Amino acid sequence: MHPELEALLEIQDLKTQRRELGETPSRDMQEAVFGLSTEEALSILDAKIAEMEEALAPDVRGRYRRIANKQPRVVVPVIRGTCYGCFVQIPTALASDADRNEEVRSCQSCGRFLYLID
Amino acid sequence: MELREFFTEGAIQLDLKGESKDEILKELIALLAVDEKSQGILYKMLKRRENLGSTGIGRGIAIPHCRSLVVNRLRVAFGRKTSGVDFKAIDEQPARYFFLIVAPPLEVSNRYLPVLGKIAQFSKEPDVSARLDELTNPLEFLALLQEKGV
Repeated sequence: MHPELEALLEIQDLKTQRRELGETPSRDMQEAVFGLSTEEALSILDAKIAEMEEALAPDVRGRYRRIANKQPRVVVPVIRGTCYGCFVQIPTALASDADRNEEVRSCQSCGRFLYLID
Repeated sequence: MELREFFTEGAIQLDLKGESKDEILKELIALLAVDEKSQGILYKMLKRRENLGSTGIGRGIAIPHCRSLVVNRLRVAFGRKTSGVDFKAIDEQPARYFFLIVAPPLEVSNRYLPVLGKIAQFSKEPDVSARLDELTNPLEFLALLQEKGV
């Protein structure tokens, strides 16, 4: 996997974790079951996300910021040839590429970064 | 929705070999049979969650969990390490039973939190630790879930 794509994936996963921790059902469960201090956890996640965003290669970071300004999900999976950001079919050659995820690719329709998944 | 429907025999390991929290997490992830790169990403995400606060909820039970783009459906696994490992659990006791839950960021049926809640509920049953100790094969684990009706 391309290292920048791996970093993008990790950022997106952290943002998912952050979003969920900020929502009532999840927050309540994390506090009640795991004794988590959610405010502290949110601060830690925010700092880590910011650090990882800054560490992206400049060209990737620029694209990342442009998408992030408009969309909450910057990286989306491609499942069975469909971009799960805009639900448009991506070109077959790209979806079936043997070197899947070895390049940082974007959806030609919505611009989001793509992660090809089986 | 019942927990039993999420577990498969292949994702149950009653004799984990790991001697540390990190090794146990890696063994649990391996039970999901995802590719090596995805395993690495899941490990990182589970570690990040653990760094926020341990998922060891006490009484020997831990429920490591995360959402990640590298899985396309909710996946669960169960592992047992009879001698226990230090998981920095709430009660500071070693963890011996591990329920792993991973899910994609978005699920159509949105079962991640309910499954997490059901496992927590199952773990609170007073006889669960003893029953988990007695298991001799994965089918008995599945039968226990069914018996408890969670």
